Amino acid sequence: MVVVETVNLRKVYLLGKVPVEALRGVNLKVEEGEFLSILGPSGSGKSTLLNLIGALDKPTDGKVLIDGVDVSTLNEDRLADLRRRIGFVFQFFNLIPRFTALENVELPMAIAGLGKAERRKRAIELLETVGLADRINHKPTELSGGEQQRVAIARALANNPRFLLMDEPTGNVDSKNADEIMRLVKRLNEEKGVTVIMVTHDQRLAKEADRTVHMLDGLIVNEVVNKP
Amino acid sequence: MKPKDIWTYAFSAIKLRKLRAGLTTLSVVIGIAAIVALLSITQGLQAAIATQLQKGFATDTLIVSAGGGIGVAESGFSLLVNDTETISQIENVTAALAIIQRVGYIRTTDGKARRVTIVGVDFEAYKAIYSSTFVAENGEIPSNPENTAVVVGKQVSEPWGNGTLFCSVGDTVEIIWTNTTARPLRNESYIGSVAAVLQEVGGFSIGGPSDTSIYIPITQAQAFFGTGKCEMIIVKLKNDDKATIESTAKTIRNAFGGQVAVTSATAVLNIISSVFSTIELFLAGIAAISLLVAGIGIMNIMIVSLMERTREIGILKALGMKNRTVLLIFLTEAAIMGLMGALIGVGTGWGLAELVVRIFSANGGFGGGFRQGGQTAAAGAVRITPLLTPTVLLGAIAFGLAVSLVFALYPAWRASRLKPVDALRYE
Repeated sequence: MVVVETVNLRKVYLLGKVPVEALRGVNLKVEEGEFLSILGPSGSGKSTLLNLIGALDKPTDGKVLIDGVDVSTLNEDRLADLRRRIGFVFQFFNLIPRFTALENVELPMAIAGLGKAERRKRAIELLETVGLADRINHKPTELSGGEQQRVAIARALANNPRFLLMDEPTGNVDSKNADEIMRLVKRLNEEKGVTVIMVTHDQRLAKEADRTVHMLDGLIVNEVVNKP
Repeated sequence: MKPKDIWTYAFSAIKLRKLRAGLTTLSVVIGIAAIVALLSITQGLQAAIATQLQKGFATDTLIVSAGGGIGVAESGFSLLVNDTETISQIENVTAALAIIQRVGYIRTTDGKARRVTIVGVDFEAYKAIYSSTFVAENGEIPSNPENTAVVVGKQVSEPWGNGTLFCSVGDTVEIIWTNTTARPLRNESYIGSVAAVLQEVGGFSIGGPSDTSIYIPITQAQAFFGTGKCEMIIVKLKNDDKATIESTAKTIRNAFGGQVAVTSATAVLNIISSVFSTIELFLAGIAAISLLVAGIGIMNIMIVSLMERTREIGILKALGMKNRTVLLIFLTEAAIMGLMGALIGVGTGWGLAELVVRIFSANGGFGGGFRQGGQTAAAGAVRITPLLTPTVLLGAIAFGLAVSLVFALYPAWRASRLKPVDALRYE
């Protein structure tokens, strides 16, 4: 089953007064349970693509279909509802600094309207899954980069998302922690069947995915199925 | 998001910026405190004066005086003591009473003198009109007085308020006035005897008894002052209906060819109360300006907060928060600060009012005088208690909250409209 599909996706930014074509017609399909990596140099449009798939931005032209639904037909409220079903993991973690790890993981569930007891229980489970059972009451400033990213992954999983969108998840952690995060992502994908779309410029990490698409200047130029 | 979670979230954001939130709250505190203090003092003052006036006033009376009325210079026309006969004939009038008064002195046998207003009235008729205030505390007000009978006000008998008496019932006193119509000026005097000391009347009165006056029989006043003229005629009406007051006042004015001013006690009360309403409105307006400044402060803080938290708003939106929830969070933050400020402000304002009243009271109290038809009609200090009515209390809290919310509306709206992708990119 196709979870995410883009059809002739185009995005033009105005950089000052100069229009910049970030995406120039991207067609992509992601199957349920798949681990896809999007590889490309900076400026190739891979983050733009991820933002469009995540309904954080609107395309200039073309369509994004999530479970067959055209995202551009949704109003603000429906978009918010859709984002609750998407798990974001950012390069810079984007945790709320004044909240503890536990509270950060609880936040998307609170936004979705879950009760206190229920979300607390689930947040603890998720933090255990990412291996942070003993750090739940620490604030982001008291955690290492790798730990913060694992909190972010736990947060992304909170509302049982249809898929995870990861934008350079290891871009801001050291290589040891990067490997650990990749192992976690692979485990989630393989054991729990979580669909993952990951953007990276690191060839070595991209190869961990089932499939890699190469982007350059706003287009998909190559597609490789990685041998396990 | 559940309301409780919105509240918790907003509160956590405020707690993070304690000093800034505190200062913002302080500006609301100052605005609300100013409003509450000013309003509770003016309302307290108004209530105190109204009480005093109602005591000193008989609402079913008219005061007739020569000339144009309060504050207007005298014309050639003079009101005569026996004009009461003309007035008595007028419909709705049940009694008419002439008052002659001069400023003079009362001197005791041991030579001490006090400046007083000497008022000549018909004791019996005066007592009938001012039955609640022209009442003896000591002695008895004679119904058919001898010419030497003197009734003194409370403050004449006991001017220092500490039990030491200047004069009391049975004392022989000398009544003195300076005859300004004689050339050269000369002091005239006669020996009288204190027949009664009045009960304390309190602050203000118009036409009615006052604590700083002495009262002598009208016939004696005419002889002593050598005049047939009087300063005013108090007219008692059948009732205090507005129609009765107005029609009778008109008839009296016409009877004297428009040469007299007819003042209704009720009208004076109304004027005073309308003056107070205006003062109150004016003061509240000034205080409201300070609250307006507080509102702008809130707006400023919220805009700064919005810029600082742009990225956070981006995160919240990426996690699926709806625009209206973002709006609610910002409004809740403003509401918390506004409500806290209003509550503390009401308390502070109340304390301030008490303090101001205490300081003023220590300096002699809110007193003063005003003149009516030539009579100085005020006496002792009015004790005032700040009055915090439920209307002012709830109004102030609601106003503080409303100002906070109104000024937070724009920043909150802007926050809610942020595009997630832009907000996340914001450094």
